[in-house]
Amino acid sequence: MFTDKIELKDIDKMDPEYRDLLGRVLTIQADCEIGGPHLYVEKMLPAAPTKLDQLIVARTAAEEIDHFRKVARVAGDMGVDVSFVLSQPNEKRFVDTFRGLITTWEDNSVFGFLIDRVGRYQLEEFYDCSYLPLQRILPDIVTEELGHIEYGYNKTAELLTKGDEQKARVQKAVDHWYVRALDMFGRSGSKRAERYRYWGLKRRTNEQARDDYIKEVDPILLSMGLKVPDPLKGRRYT
Amino acid sequence: MPQAAPDTEKLDEHLLEVVRALHGAVKQGVSHTNDPKLMDKAIEDCKEILDVIMAGEVKEWLN
Repeated sequence: MFTDKIELKDIDKMDPEYRDLLGRVLTIQADCEIGGPHLYVEKMLPAAPTKLDQLIVARTAAEEIDHFRKVARVAGDMGVDVSFVLSQPNEKRFVDTFRGLITTWEDNSVFGFLIDRVGRYQLEEFYDCSYLPLQRILPDIVTEELGHIEYGYNKTAELLTKGDEQKARVQKAVDHWYVRALDMFGRSGSKRAERYRYWGLKRRTNEQARDDYIKEVDPILLSMGLKVPDPLKGRRYT
Repeated sequence: MPQAAPDTEKLDEHLLEVVRALHGAVKQGVSHTNDPKLMDKAIEDCKEILDVIMAGEVKEWLN
């Protein structure tokens, strides 16, 4: 296992596999950061239930754009141009979850609660990682992601107080996003994930991270009076 | 030092300005929750800024 810590000035001396994997993970991270606003800004900025919620949608987008900026800077400094993802259509996003459009407030709320939480997990993979410029941008980004998760949770909980019909709509959104959240961790037994770990770029295997997520999320869903969807139904990556 | 990708710094500076402008507009709205007109104006400002980012015309931003 590789245990050194790498600065930008050392990157050209690194093994090509290291540079390829780092460039790849930064590109995907940048795509996910900007992919969020592309999912919800168009329909949710005008349609959020209150003016304050509309402003919070805009603030969330601002924070995600800033996360993109920080990741793009780390990538750009090492010679990897990720700017193409800014103009990429949603259907070409690296991660399936970001293909499409959020059109309901239930989906927007559950997305924050479940998918931004996966975002937090992905960022936590880089804690203590071997590439120091990446490690340095994490604390502020994770703090803001925690805010998005909390907002999503609160809005989901608020919707659940509005009767059975509303609760059914929330459950439908949970059924939709839960399996996508689990898929976001990638294939179990992935060889690439092993190489990320070998180079000190990630901490856990895909299946370990997914299991941790399930252990965190399932009790929250149950405590909210929601059903935990079948974790295998509709999954693309197991 | 490695060779940076083209326009790395320019894009970083541009997006930082965008983010600051968005936060400014949001703050303006959030601090006037008793004034619907000001909130509408802030939401409209946010929409205008976000529409440009969502359009993704990166070359236009940087020229």
